[in-house]
Amino acid sequence: MADPKVIERNRGLAGQNRIRLLGLVYVAVFCIIGIQLVRLTVLEPDEGEAKRMAREVDRVPRPDIVDRNGVVLATDVSVASLFSDPRKIIDMEEAVELISTTLPDVNAADLRKKLVAPGRAFVWIKRQVSPEERDAVYNLGIPGVGFVNERKRVYPQGRLAAHTVGYVDVDTKGIAGIEKYLDNAGAIYTASLAEPGHPISAPAQLAMDVQVQHVVADELSKAMTKFRAIAAGGIIMDIHTGEVIALVSLPDFNPNAESKNFGKDQQNRMLSGVYELGSVIKAVTFAMAFDYGTINMNSKYDARFPLVIGSARISDFHAQRRVLTVPEIFTNSSNIGTAKMALDVGVERHKAFLEKVGLLDRLLTEVPETAKPLLPKRWGKLVSATASFGHGFAVQPLQGLSVVTGILNDGNMVPPTFMMRSKEEADVLGKQIVKPGVSKNMQTLFRLNAVEGTAGKADVPGYRVGGKTGTAEKVVRGRYSKEQRLTSFIGAFPMDNPHYAILIMLDEPKPTPETYGFATSGWNAVPTAANIIARIAPILGVEPILTEADRAKLEKSRKAKKG
Amino acid sequence: MLKFANFSLVLVTLATASTLYNLEHTTRAGERSIAKANAEIVDNAEDIKLLKAEWSSLTRPERIQQLAEQQLGMKRLEPDQIVTAAELPQRLDALSKVEKPEGKATIDDILRKMQ
Repeated sequence: MADPKVIERNRGLAGQNRIRLLGLVYVAVFCIIGIQLVRLTVLEPDEGEAKRMAREVDRVPRPDIVDRNGVVLATDVSVASLFSDPRKIIDMEEAVELISTTLPDVNAADLRKKLVAPGRAFVWIKRQVSPEERDAVYNLGIPGVGFVNERKRVYPQGRLAAHTVGYVDVDTKGIAGIEKYLDNAGAIYTASLAEPGHPISAPAQLAMDVQVQHVVADELSKAMTKFRAIAAGGIIMDIHTGEVIALVSLPDFNPNAESKNFGKDQQNRMLSGVYELGSVIKAVTFAMAFDYGTINMNSKYDARFPLVIGSARISDFHAQRRVLTVPEIFTNSSNIGTAKMALDVGVERHKAFLEKVGLLDRLLTEVPETAKPLLPKRWGKLVSATASFGHGFAVQPLQGLSVVTGILNDGNMVPPTFMMRSKEEADVLGKQIVKPGVSKNMQTLFRLNAVEGTAGKADVPGYRVGGKTGTAEKVVRGRYSKEQRLTSFIGAFPMDNPHYAILIMLDEPKPTPETYGFATSGWNAVPTAANIIARIAPILGVEPILTEADRAKLEKSRKAKKG
Repeated sequence: MLKFANFSLVLVTLATASTLYNLEHTTRAGERSIAKANAEIVDNAEDIKLLKAEWSSLTRPERIQQLAEQQLGMKRLEPDQIVTAAELPQRLDALSKVEKPEGKATIDDILRKMQ
């Protein structure tokens, strides 16, 4: 029945269908290949994976730390570290022998113990080797010994800013100072510095000026030698912005040192130490009395007899034995007058004022090492009277200076900072602690004290310095010592529009022949402050205004030096 | 007809293959030079950091002070050595009257023009 022709045609049709199917499959496969080709070559590849891996390998470097003029204070440099994969070492004894002879500070016994420990695939042999050592070990050609590039933190300025900048450990983790701040609370700050998508982050800029910092360190170390003091400290602050331009505490330390076992003696005395600042605190008492309105510039206090409270007697160091006006109490640093002033204000109000200006709490800044003030347990009349002249309560020196900057800055206290801060930022942070009028009175008193009072030696010609001195007897074994003293000076310049504040502190200065046997602040801390101001005022851009008398004085001292 | 189509398709395939090969080649070369440049950037950045650290160490105020005192005999700047700009023009006037060269613009003239 079947027509052979039809069968033939059907076969042909079946063959054509197969070819078509095959063709379709080919087209489909080529389409897939084509699409994949376009996706992989023309379109942007998916970078997520690659980026994540890259980030894991190349961790975010620490930002550099620079001063306010961009001088590098801390930076990372790349150094090689020597490691070993003990499983790949063929001759252990030979390797130990060779390495320990090439690197003299690697102990052979220790190294052997580390290398033979079972199951270890990675052992540090020596971190941060010098380029010469690196080449020497490389030339030994020991299998299983290699190098990785590590970052090492270096401090090019050495000791100069050590207390502020702080330091890091061998794994570049911040241990102290701003370095620690950058690690902790400052992590967000650090991240904000990093440019998005750029691996190198912007440096952290400090408020410090290394030039000023050096002058303070230089003059303080000279003073320490001259007066045989056991320690010294100094701070320069910008009154308007609260920036700490310089902070020196001696003895200091070298942050580049291999071992970072720094002793208590090398601590930052300006921040992590508390001291009875003595008479410089009188400035706070005066400002308080002015602010509460219990005194004015013409008020008088009887300082003829010592003040007796219970069984205690308060007497004056520079006893005048007469009725003193307010400016006279300040310039003669009368304890009796100041104590009476505090008693007129009242114990509760006195305490409240100290609370308001922050002298009863720990001062917190970026630098993490801080100390709590040492305060009397109960506030009574006697405590209030002695606290009025800085006796019986100890505060951080930076804290004391900060309050004085507030008093002199039209009553507007800006919290101190170690990071650079603009005037606009500072204006938001300020806190009114006393009325502007009070500030004017205090400025007058500070200047007066440098012209004719206890701080006479601070009056550097031309720079209109003002200040208050303090000499506190140190507490030795629970008693006030007559021999061991802490002398201090808090001042500011130029006094017609205070811009910079200065604090100088000397611990146990001794009398010298030049000081006629005196060891009070006016003879050591004040001249040191004067030397510092004379050198830093031009750096800080304070224009000198000279009177004829000033010029004559300068001419005379120049001739004396030549002759 | 079909032969011609096939032949031209083969030609097109060959052409695209060679273009692709060339592209791939130049891309690889480009990638290599980018990688090289990046490595150089990293190296240079590292060098710059090192040099900056060295510069900072060499210009330590302590060191500069020592050099200035010992080598140059420099001393502390006293306030009467600082003169304000307002005190200067008189001196310029006096000088320019005495030593003005003929037909030449002095610094004084240039300063005047700028004002």
